[in-house]
Amino acid sequence: MQCGWPLLGPLQWMRYVNKQVKVKAGKDEERRGWLLTVDPVSASLVLVNFGEEEGRASVQVVMGHAVEEVEVLQEADEETTERLRTSFLPPETRTLDP
Amino acid sequence: SIPSSSDAEQLPGEQHARSVLRESFLRCLLAMANKKIQFQMYERVKVEATFRASDIDVLNFQVSDLHTPIGVQKEALIRCQDVISFTFDA
Repeated sequence: MQCGWPLLGPLQWMRYVNKQVKVKAGKDEERRGWLLTVDPVSASLVLVNFGEEEGRASVQVVMGHAVEEVEVLQEADEETTERLRTSFLPPETRTLDP
Repeated sequence: SIPSSSDAEQLPGEQHARSVLRESFLRCLLAMANKKIQFQMYERVKVEATFRASDIDVLNFQVSDLHTPIGVQKEALIRCQDVISFTFDA
């Protein structure tokens, strides 16, 4: 993906979610991580890197305006997808079922 | 932002994708509140601060205890245009 990242739109951004990506932003700087989401307002990417310890993760947000290139490295397996899905959920999700 | 497709059939799918992505991003911002954040800015500037809030358009971040080279600023607003990326531990 070359430039134009903020202009891609939600359907295109969705295709990068749950993938390990390499992002070029700023001067020759490169970042890697699992793409959790893309803010549809600012086109900012949220990258997650899981630590050795259970429940620890380092999160990197790359501002949409600074993104130069996004490259997909690999898809997430089921375990990683689940870890990504639950990483920022509130501790207790209230259910509306009676 | 501007809809990327004027195709009416695609609109519900696009809006759904938009809401899923945005919710996830807002949860991430919530998780960031009161955490120590390292900002990477242009010209290789790196500063640390405690994240407090963002405005809805993600144009400014409100932070506390901003560690600048000339001292600690108790409260500050950071222009998102000046930021390349930022990191924190969840």
